Amino acid sequence: MTAAGRLRRRTLLRSAVATTVAGAAGCARGPRPVQVAVVWSGAELTRFREVVAGFPDVRVIGVGNDIDAFLTARMLAGTSPDVAILPRPGLIVEYARRGWLDRVAPASSYLAPAGMADLLTVDGHRYGLWIKAAHKSLFWHFPSMLAEPPRTWDALVETTRRLGARHRAGEGPAPLAVGAADGWVLTDWFENVLADIARPGGYEALARGEADWQGPPVRDALDRLAELWSIDGAFPGGGQRALLTQFEESVIQVAHHRSAVMVFEADFVDGVAARFRRGTEPLVTFRFPGSRVADQPLVVGGDAAVAFTGSAAGVELVRWLSDAAAFRPWLEAGGYLSPNLVVPVNNYRDPLRRRLAAEFRAVEALRYDLSDRLPGTFTGTDGVGIWRIMQDFFMDVTDGVAAREAVRRATGQLAEAARAAGSGR
Amino acid sequence: MRRDPVLGQLALLDDVGPPRRGRAYPATGATWALLAPAALLLGGLLAWPVLRTVQASVTTDGRWVGAEHYRAALTSPGAGAAVGRTVLWALLVPTVVTVLGYLLAAASRRSQEGWLVRFILVVPTALPLVVTGVTFRLLYDPDPQRGPVTLLLAWLTGTPERVPHLLGPRLVTVAVMSAFVWAWVGLAVLVFRAALDTVPADLVDAVRAFGGSRRDVFWDAQWRPLMLRTVAVVFALVAVGTSRTFDLILVMTPGSVRDEASVLALRIWQTSGATTTGQGAALGVIWLVAVTAGMLVVSMFIRQAWPPPPPRAVPASAPPPRRLVRLLAAAAAVAWLLPLGVLAATSSQSPVRAATAAWWSGPPGLDSYRAVLGGTGLWRSLGFTLLLALVVTAVVLCVALLAAYPLAWLTGPPAQAVGLALLAAAVVPVQVVAGPINEVLGLALSSGTARGLALVHIALGIPFAVLVLRNAFADLPADQVRAARLGERHLWDTLRRLVRHHRTAVVAVAVLEFVQVWNDLVVGLLFSGPDAAPLGWFLAEQTRGFVTGSGTLAAGSVLASILPVLVFVLGRRQIVAGLVAGGVR
Repeated sequence: MTAAGRLRRRTLLRSAVATTVAGAAGCARGPRPVQVAVVWSGAELTRFREVVAGFPDVRVIGVGNDIDAFLTARMLAGTSPDVAILPRPGLIVEYARRGWLDRVAPASSYLAPAGMADLLTVDGHRYGLWIKAAHKSLFWHFPSMLAEPPRTWDALVETTRRLGARHRAGEGPAPLAVGAADGWVLTDWFENVLADIARPGGYEALARGEADWQGPPVRDALDRLAELWSIDGAFPGGGQRALLTQFEESVIQVAHHRSAVMVFEADFVDGVAARFRRGTEPLVTFRFPGSRVADQPLVVGGDAAVAFTGSAAGVELVRWLSDAAAFRPWLEAGGYLSPNLVVPVNNYRDPLRRRLAAEFRAVEALRYDLSDRLPGTFTGTDGVGIWRIMQDFFMDVTDGVAAREAVRRATGQLAEAARAAGSGR
Repeated sequence: MRRDPVLGQLALLDDVGPPRRGRAYPATGATWALLAPAALLLGGLLAWPVLRTVQASVTTDGRWVGAEHYRAALTSPGAGAAVGRTVLWALLVPTVVTVLGYLLAAASRRSQEGWLVRFILVVPTALPLVVTGVTFRLLYDPDPQRGPVTLLLAWLTGTPERVPHLLGPRLVTVAVMSAFVWAWVGLAVLVFRAALDTVPADLVDAVRAFGGSRRDVFWDAQWRPLMLRTVAVVFALVAVGTSRTFDLILVMTPGSVRDEASVLALRIWQTSGATTTGQGAALGVIWLVAVTAGMLVVSMFIRQAWPPPPPRAVPASAPPPRRLVRLLAAAAAVAWLLPLGVLAATSSQSPVRAATAAWWSGPPGLDSYRAVLGGTGLWRSLGFTLLLALVVTAVVLCVALLAAYPLAWLTGPPAQAVGLALLAAAVVPVQVVAGPINEVLGLALSSGTARGLALVHIALGIPFAVLVLRNAFADLPADQVRAARLGERHLWDTLRRLVRHHRTAVVAVAVLEFVQVWNDLVVGLLFSGPDAAPLGWFLAEQTRGFVTGSGTLAAGSVLASILPVLVFVLGRRQIVAGLVAGGVR
């Protein structure tokens, strides 16, 4: 081979290696915007982008439901975002224990309710700040279809029986719509009943993994649910159909088709209902009924902001987000409920949120969503953990399995899942 | 999961004979230089992650625990069922696809309407599996107001309250399988048609002349000389392809029945996400071993079959199939069109109507298209995916061409070893090695970035591309190589000249790689980041609120399908010719 040929060959070799190395190594990271990973999508994501428009140079990443997998992978790879907004305090505590998070300090105008703030501390240090809340103890219905909403659990069962019998006879809509295809809908049912039944400390003990999942509070709560869910004609199309109904479809069943009278879920129901409602009559709400009328515990959900280690800009953004004024664009657009008690109730544009915000301030006992606090795989996602267990339970009781047997199976599964999640770490 | 290695198996399972080797060895130094890019990518993003996964399956925090993870993984509730279902998928579905594919290829041969039948059957093959999932979920919607199949069942059984739901826990696997068969039969038809066209007509005539019946023709002139191999190839292809059920299950199943449909791919993803944990790694290793062993068995089986005769043009005088057979083929084509019709009809309803009423009850409109095109999300996704697919295709072609050239001159056991290694690399399911791949990407600061996503796609695409191109190069007649060597004095020019002789193989690889990346869900799901939202991921995200979003989802699905279908249909002759050319001789 000639010298020229050798040269060309060498050039080829060098360029091939250079290309690969350049592709693999990438270029060094320059100054970049502050990255925020969020679970929101659609309208919520749009609103949040409007919120952070007030902070210099922020990039919002909609990650979807699998935010844990995303963050873990990015962490292992050393490319974590600066800030993440997570709906699961359990996850935040886990991350903090692994040393992935920086401590954060709230803005001066920040005050979260007692039941929420302490969920984000590890060894007395604060690792996250609540920036959005969800009121999870609401039933929705049209006043024209249900004039007298039930105020206690027994009244709810009674109403469901009456409407169910009428529905079976083909003379009216089914009493309840439930999006059982989404496991979180069923866990929200369970948590509301459990909060009503369990002693104040009992609920918290279950969430911390210190209590027995086969004990009386869990059994009684499941018993109650079995009593209601097993009513013949309770759901449009029956239990099997309900298991294939997603949350948003269950709202449509009430708001559009009027094939069911009531639907239970959080304050974000109104967004779906507004899109699909027929006519001008608005949906109204009543509180999730418990055994007593007064001073019932309130179940809430929420989203908290955390900063990953080594990002000063991230810590700064989290502090900024906790300010009472930060979420003003979203407050004004509606559909946002603040966990910050400093936010004046009058700042809310929509009357529903104003009422819920007032309830937040008035309520004595606040219970944070239990399933979001459970560790590891117990916390649930599609086909996994407590979501799956509650769906199995729903399937059993709507399929004619005796309540006692269904409860026995469910508590067994819960205890097993708690043990597996406990030993896995 | 592995992307479909498609027709190339024909080529790669078939070692090229010694006489055509040893013509022009590149010098050793050049060989290594040419192989380096491919070796680096495959070593770093496939081989090393596989080793890491194996290591993770027998250790906890670096401590040796033996088979503990395996025991735990296999005894955890639902694991046995998932393994069983994976095996069922790998045996039952390929059988159905192979039989249907052969029958439809035979039935649509040499008839006037045959091309139309085959054209219709091939379209679903090119669709992203996410779109297939959306289509069948619409078809099987449990609400008789929206799902035509449920409406039909309610009408047949007469009891709307007791209708068996196809997406319900008992039938969901059947439902997902039907979607898969719908999507893959077209591919089988393509391969069988190519094989049937290479059956020498004189052999058929000879069997006939000696008084052979139709059965004798089938057995002596088709099955024994050629079809046995083809059947094995199609079966193996589809069996490996069943690991793609991941996409379908994720899109088609509501959360409450996901466990009833779960297979290993899904379970590994559910239990470990984008990281590698002990139990997830153990399941992954089991799966990896099973897939590789299965491919080995099939490849041995194929090698023992008869050597096929050289391809020849089919005389036009051969009689078309019987009328009844042709009618059946036409009926199949109509049935294959129905799901596409449901998708198109749903996309033509306004978002609110699509969520609340039957698509057959309202006049069509463009509201859903307007809604989906009005936002920036789909545009950004389309643009990003186009760029990604083009870049990945270009890089895969370059790297694979460089590597295929020296590999084509290998002979004997080394050639076989390389073939087997590439084959194994081509079937590695990406869920299994997602965690370690992320670690490697992290070293290069490209995890969760568009660059990282592209790197993973490239690494996954290379084995298949190298296999096809290697076989194509090895098949080149000696005088062409000599001409190339004499005409151009440098290796680079020789290479360029050789590529020109193999335009079909290059086009085939390019088309398949492009469609592959465009249609991907799982790589996007596992590796996409802030600046990278590929189309499959974008659509799959929207299935979370399936009913409320079905209008815009259907419209987005239609828009996402146009380009891959166009590319695949236009390139289908090249695909078959390019891939089979290297293989049948």
